[in-house]
Amino acid sequence: MAAAALLASAALAQEISGGATTAGASMSGRLTGVSQAMLDGADKEGSQWLQVNGGYSQLRYAPQSQITAGNVKKLKPAFVFQTAVLESMETAPLVVGDVMFLTTSFNHVYAINAVTGQQYWHYKHKMGAVTTYCCGPNNRGVAALDGMLYMGTLDAKLVALDAKTGKLMWETQIEDPELGYSETMAPVAVDGKVLIGTNGGEYGVRGFVKAFDAKDGKLLWTFYTIPEKGHEGVWAVNDATGRNMLRDIAAEKDALAKNGGDFYKTLGGGVWMTPAVDRETKTVFFVVGNPSPDLYGAERPGDNLYTNSMVAVDLDTGKYKWHYQYIAHDVWDLDAVSPVILTEAKGKDGKKRKVAIHGGKTGHVYVHDRATGELIRFSEAMVPQENMWVLPTSEGARMLPGANGGVEWNPMAVNPKLGLAYAANLHQPMTYHVEAAKYPGGKLWLGGAFKVIPSEKQWGRLAAVDISTGKMVWKADTEQPLMGGVLATAGGLVFTGEGNGAFNAYSAKNGAKLWSFQCGAGVNAPAVSYSVNGKQYIAVAAGGNTQLDFKRGNSMFVFALP
Amino acid sequence: MKPQPSLTVCLAFALALSAHASSGNQSPASDKARRSVAAVQPAAPATAQAQAVGETHAAVQVAQQDGAQPAAQSSATAASEPFSVEKAVQTCNTCHGPDGNSALPETPSLAGQTARYIYLQLKDFKEKRRENPLMSPMAANLDKPQMLALAQYYAEKKLKPNDFKADAGKIKHGKAKADEVLCTMCHLGGFMGQNEIPRVAGQRYDYIVKQLKDFRAMKRTNDAGNMTSVSKTLKDEDIEALAHYITNIN
Repeated sequence: MAAAALLASAALAQEISGGATTAGASMSGRLTGVSQAMLDGADKEGSQWLQVNGGYSQLRYAPQSQITAGNVKKLKPAFVFQTAVLESMETAPLVVGDVMFLTTSFNHVYAINAVTGQQYWHYKHKMGAVTTYCCGPNNRGVAALDGMLYMGTLDAKLVALDAKTGKLMWETQIEDPELGYSETMAPVAVDGKVLIGTNGGEYGVRGFVKAFDAKDGKLLWTFYTIPEKGHEGVWAVNDATGRNMLRDIAAEKDALAKNGGDFYKTLGGGVWMTPAVDRETKTVFFVVGNPSPDLYGAERPGDNLYTNSMVAVDLDTGKYKWHYQYIAHDVWDLDAVSPVILTEAKGKDGKKRKVAIHGGKTGHVYVHDRATGELIRFSEAMVPQENMWVLPTSEGARMLPGANGGVEWNPMAVNPKLGLAYAANLHQPMTYHVEAAKYPGGKLWLGGAFKVIPSEKQWGRLAAVDISTGKMVWKADTEQPLMGGVLATAGGLVFTGEGNGAFNAYSAKNGAKLWSFQCGAGVNAPAVSYSVNGKQYIAVAAGGNTQLDFKRGNSMFVFALP
Repeated sequence: MKPQPSLTVCLAFALALSAHASSGNQSPASDKARRSVAAVQPAAPATAQAQAVGETHAAVQVAQQDGAQPAAQSSATAASEPFSVEKAVQTCNTCHGPDGNSALPETPSLAGQTARYIYLQLKDFKEKRRENPLMSPMAANLDKPQMLALAQYYAEKKLKPNDFKADAGKIKHGKAKADEVLCTMCHLGGFMGQNEIPRVAGQRYDYIVKQLKDFRAMKRTNDAGNMTSVSKTLKDEDIEALAHYITNIN
């Protein structure tokens, strides 16, 4: 523990002076600007990895098939790139041509050669004096468009870098970090815009998705995830699966009538994972996080729309299209986080439909009609559920899943040929505790606590769900809860990592574990796949995790067949 | 788990600080060496404040015997001088120790503390969300740039290992409790703190115990309920074990 403390201290100390780009080797001639046409084709891109979750559909499905279930046993490290920051890594790198762009905690960005690991440049964001974030100094990656890279920062800025040089081109303040706003998500670049949400559901922010002009950072539109009027919703009695949430709706209505609905300004509803985009219908899809405060609901009567919901808005204007709320008036922090995936599944009539899916902290995969938001089905629970929805108490009430899920922020992957969604799950039995708390003005505002139950074992589960039936087709259990995300490939493989340093490959069809490599630090980031000169590579960050306190590291591991 | 330092700084500190807030919007990081803000008038009389405090008053006396600047002397020279971080911290350090490394049991070390936490605690003292007979009047006359400057000063200091003899069995018990109540989810790995969540690694044993008990008894309530909720299910022996564990992390 002492060693970990020293290392963490060293990492923090690096961040105080911040703000520079350091040049390395001359940039590769194979780096091109990422055009809109390239981004439109990114979901089926044969060699590059152009968006953190593959493409706008966020399938995390790589078409490369050189590495297969038959030869994956031979997979070996091609190189390991070590960053200067020894802290939690949740990043998914991009690969353009033969250049990889990766980020670290505290908003560093590196451009390196994707075959050799040679460094081209290193950008270190000059952090503002005030940062406010709850769960580690993470960053989940950049977006690329027309020769630029875009990154959200812990001090709630959006920065634009020249992809060739790493030079800062512009930056814009998204919101006020004093009030609890910060950025860890990767933005999405589309149609000349950069879309980004916000963290802050633990601080009483008013969540949003904003669109900025990709050329100069000018704000184009804002969709607030908390409407000024109507956030009380329909006073839902049951959750999305039909279970009674034990709300005292009469008391909530009285409180709203008596105190009014002005709390919309501090109702939370962060959007902290990358949205999916359907360019045909010009629609942006995202999920919205928990209401503030997390566990104490008396301050915020009503359904607390659009917290804990999937939401669709217009790409050009940010105008509301539809929403579907999974848990109204959440008091368990079982919010919607794992990014939306756009794919196809069978409707109840057996016909193919365009769907938007989400893996919930509840342990269900939810399948929606993409045009209307209608919930077509939800999967069987991937992890144990017990005592749902017992209300939190002062002394603590046991309920499963624990507050981390189910599926945390972990991006799922989909193999469209098999019709399977792969979800990295946690099983962490917890008690939920509530404590009355007024808005504390930009400080952590949980209104209680979560505690794990020492006598109950924690574990992880990689689950494959048939999204046309909702059945869990296979499951592969792991020693520790899973935090990081999934990659599926056309080689019939699924990759995910564990907090103990293991990076694993499984059969996409039956979940058999086919390969594992020990990375020496927690593998708690989603892997990516790409090809250069006809050779397929799998890359994954091994930097550990703050939230589960998995061993920290600072490395990007890149694997290939000999 | 968030045992949070109470910043029980010495009395004289308040006397050295300005009640006339500077209009300057200084960046705490921009000029570490010379931060100066217009100075002003003393807060409440030192003797009355000190007498109200008992235990901490004794601490002040101990510090003075060790050669620290007496409170009255500081106030006499401060009235017409601009605010100087270097001068102000001389007073702070009489209780919080050299460079913020405290030698007094229930007085927290400030060295290596997160700047955001120190700033917000000073603000809470000033705005009465947190009460302490010594710290409240001291913070009362601080303006925002001064608070930020002091916070940055201590954040940049190095926390020295303390000399507490931790018990191995209690460390084990404390670690298990820490895992159960998910301390590091907020306090970060190694209990190093982040933003407004304090570093508690290496903090003074007695101080940790006192804060956890104060949260549990709701004597300290500027935590938005988080730490009250965390400490509510902790027995005295759990709190002591946690303190053995946390104070021993250097």
